[in-house]
Amino acid sequence: MKNWILFGITVVVVFLLAMLGYTIMDRKTEARFAYQPTVQLEGIEPRDSVWGLNYPRQYQSYQKTADTTFSSLYNTSGSRDVLEDNPEMVILWAGYGFSKDYSHPRGHSYAVEDIRETLRTGAPMEAGEGPMPSTCWTCKSPDVPRLMKEMGVSEYYSQKFSDLGSEVINPIGCADCHNPETMNLTITRPALIEAYEAMGKDINQASHQEMRSLVCAQCHVEYYFDKDKEDAPQAQYLTFPWKEGMDVEAVTQYYDAIDFADWVHPLSKARMLKAQHPDYEIYSLGVHAKRGVSCADCHMPYKSEGGQKFTDHHIGSPLSNVENSCFVCHREKISDLVTDVYERQRKIKEGTSYLQRQLAKAHIEAAKAWELGATEQDMKEILTGIRHAQWRWDYSVASHGAAFHAPLETSRIVTSATGIIQETRISLTRLLAALGHPEPVEMPDFTDKSALQAYIGLDMEAEKAAKEEFLEEVVPKWLKEGKKRESQMETASVIGR
Amino acid sequence: MRPGSKLKRFLFRYSLVPPHRWRPAATVLVAVIFGLGLYLLRLSNAASYLSDDPQACVNCHIMTPQYITWNHSSHREVAHCNDCHVPHNNVLNKYFFKAKDGLYHASVFTARAEPEVIKARGPSIEVIQNNCIRCHESQVTDARMLGFTADHFENRTDRTCWECHREVPHGRVKSLSATGHQIEPIRAHAPEDLSIVPPWLETIMNKNDP
Repeated sequence: MKNWILFGITVVVVFLLAMLGYTIMDRKTEARFAYQPTVQLEGIEPRDSVWGLNYPRQYQSYQKTADTTFSSLYNTSGSRDVLEDNPEMVILWAGYGFSKDYSHPRGHSYAVEDIRETLRTGAPMEAGEGPMPSTCWTCKSPDVPRLMKEMGVSEYYSQKFSDLGSEVINPIGCADCHNPETMNLTITRPALIEAYEAMGKDINQASHQEMRSLVCAQCHVEYYFDKDKEDAPQAQYLTFPWKEGMDVEAVTQYYDAIDFADWVHPLSKARMLKAQHPDYEIYSLGVHAKRGVSCADCHMPYKSEGGQKFTDHHIGSPLSNVENSCFVCHREKISDLVTDVYERQRKIKEGTSYLQRQLAKAHIEAAKAWELGATEQDMKEILTGIRHAQWRWDYSVASHGAAFHAPLETSRIVTSATGIIQETRISLTRLLAALGHPEPVEMPDFTDKSALQAYIGLDMEAEKAAKEEFLEEVVPKWLKEGKKRESQMETASVIGR
Repeated sequence: MRPGSKLKRFLFRYSLVPPHRWRPAATVLVAVIFGLGLYLLRLSNAASYLSDDPQACVNCHIMTPQYITWNHSSHREVAHCNDCHVPHNNVLNKYFFKAKDGLYHASVFTARAEPEVIKARGPSIEVIQNNCIRCHESQVTDARMLGFTADHFENRTDRTCWECHREVPHGRVKSLSATGHQIEPIRAHAPEDLSIVPPWLETIMNKNDP
């Protein structure tokens, strides 16, 4: 009898153990499906609307980058004509696309639209035409990593801007910064990885906090197109000049060593450098970077909706959202914080405004010297001075946030540039006097953009008409082709499986 | 007296020792029960509960909202689950409390009796409050605060910290359905390769390098 009881108990114990085992497995399976995305993201998905099905909060806040209503003292999320505000820039960039058209950048949502519409990219009516290489698309769209994966990196850099018009149709989006499987931050642009390698660093060692800035540094940096890359002779290979270091001196040294020039100035004949937007480099020299604050901490602060705290993907000026950005560390009045920013910007702008006027004068004086018969030898140092001074000026203004990101560094760069250009203008005055021109050189009206554009020989009406034709005839074709291609892409739904 | 002989006598008295013929069968049967038990320990990831890793707390998905809200809070960098939710006065008490709470959680979870909103119970509240003080002692006992904060003494002794600091650290809304689709993948379900440079780009770049 006892044995039967023992048998019974054992049966019950094993039965219960098996039941427990089953529920553990059952609930483990349940965990896999408890928080389930709506669609399966496969490969490089360039369409944000597909990601948005899984991550509606992030997607909807990101869509707000289309909002152009915010304006601060000098900058705006909308479009504002910088040349209209600073007409002398037309002289500084004579012979280069920026003298035709330069507006404040709008939000990420407009990246593709804006690059198609700017006069700088010309009006290529057929594929293979136009002034710009495909490299110009690199920072504009998650279609770019998709194309790089399909074509290869060097091959991607070897096309024309107009070759890829129907391929690049989605503005900067999810796939540029996120790994579709884990949502972790990722680097999709080879230039940053290569720049790290050139500096002898491994980007795979970056911490999460560093990544919150490095994803931005894929684009918000100074760069140039390398046309002499050995293994890619056809390419205009996007390269960051960081080999010697990331500060303005190191980059100058790098460009001087390879005698790089973006263009030769038609007035002064100087071999010029165009600074792009060294936001990351300048930010990294500021006090916020020193304290470990990342780009996303201020430009994409946390936000709560319901029970979910998430990163606000409405990327823009922290001044439009002081409560969530600055307040995390600085418990001051909003007006005080905003005034602090404006004060730095205003004071640095005093310096840069003066400096850009001096640079414009130097170009015109140099042109006069050539006209009066100056020799290459006479002009050599003067041209180097103009090159270096304008490069430094550009480096301090091209990233619109420099005056706040690192006021001391920016101010130092402006001061050094002012010194260089004044020395250069003294040499120019001496040279002009020696050439028999002791009186001041006649200057155009520096307050009138159109007059200055005419002065440097631009036919703006023709440029604008060509662009209009391009926007009316070519772009709709690109979009139609692109949409057709995308309509054949499949989206894997998770719900149905 | 040899150790274990007491057990033997007990087994004999109640005829729990099987006759010789049955011994192999009985041994196998007992071993089956033990083996099944061991497998259950492995299946339920039991060893992970000995660690302080917050990932152990999301072995059951019920804790996902708590995990994700903590993961987005300022405490993420300085305090893990165990820093707040188990006592730290001594090691034995720590594991005793952990075992007690853990078995309670496990029973509720197994019985599918979990509430939509999880709240701390009495003993847990005391532990959490003590742990707030453990780290923030210099702030809550700062003598200068007495001078310029009204009812400072009462406010820090008569109530729990989170009666006022309601968002710390899990936020005010934390039901099972509050956090939606998880953004940070729980390690158990995440792919292993978490490198920053995506594999496709790594391949292309290596091909370019001679």
